[in-house]
Amino acid sequence: MHNNPILRISTKILFAPIILFGLYVQFHGDFGPGGGFQAGVIVASAFILYSLVFGIEAGKKLFPSNINLILLALGGIIYGGVGIVSMLLGDEFLAYNILGSSPQSGQHIGILLVEFGVGLTVSNVMIALFNAFASYDKIKEK
Amino acid sequence: MISELLINAFLVTIMLSIAIALIKTRTVIFTVILTSAYSLVAALMFITLDAVDVAFTEASVGAGISTILFLAAMAYLPKKEEKSISSEFVPALSCIILGGILIWCSYDLPEIGQLTAPIHQHIAPEYIKGSKEDIGIPNIVTSVLASYRGYDTFGETIVVFTAGVAVLALLQKKDPAKKNKSKPKQKIRKNA
Repeated sequence: MHNNPILRISTKILFAPIILFGLYVQFHGDFGPGGGFQAGVIVASAFILYSLVFGIEAGKKLFPSNINLILLALGGIIYGGVGIVSMLLGDEFLAYNILGSSPQSGQHIGILLVEFGVGLTVSNVMIALFNAFASYDKIKEK
Repeated sequence: MISELLINAFLVTIMLSIAIALIKTRTVIFTVILTSAYSLVAALMFITLDAVDVAFTEASVGAGISTILFLAAMAYLPKKEEKSISSEFVPALSCIILGGILIWCSYDLPEIGQLTAPIHQHIAPEYIKGSKEDIGIPNIVTSVLASYRGYDTFGETIVVFTAGVAVLALLQKKDPAKKNKSKPKQKIRKNA
């Protein structure tokens, strides 16, 4: 697939809009359909498309594996961290009311952060899984 | 009502034919593609039930990313499925009996969208009211997912994380992987 100009150029054109759509789904989840799980998958699909067309090594250059693994864990930490912050502020685990000046704004902040954590974990797990499968194949061939 | 019935009949027919084709096919790549198509039709089904968030998830996860992951994993499978030697009579009979029981039970389910159904009486009114007043978010699904059921979603996220880490640990078991990883990078640098 490396030499097919149609695939290469359409991937380059599509890459940014896919990530933009993922971010829209992520942060518009409060108002329309969507949320962390869907957005994570959409963002991951952009990187997987890049790896499919330009090769796994180019994909790893674009999004290095060590950053991928750190972000993979960071999503869960953000989610749990929101709960711990709400506990430190004197409420229960994952009670968002206390995070903002009013209960409603606290809920907004909490939901936004939590969904961001979900999106981060899901997208990086998907990218890591794809990379693992694709690189494992190479090792086997050698 | 009639248009709804027609749409549902259309979707069920497509789903059934995909399912039958799935049973018949023995080539792994067709199985993966047909599973993806099945997920897409299921997503349409969820839209007719007004479950837009679920449809979105089904379309992106079921039809999108899982197909890619199946294709990536397919490299380690034989190209064709082996024909089973044992007879197909007993599995078919048990499927028909189980399906019959499920259809029989479905007559006891309340009608879709009926206001007096138990599910709409329990805690749902509180969520619908609270989503507007306490949380201030128009999408009730998000407020239930992230706020009311925040613990469950936390658990889900950890499950996704654990599953990912487990697969990574399984696939990176071979030691040569590390050696191979460092070598190509140097080659690329030399070429550049």
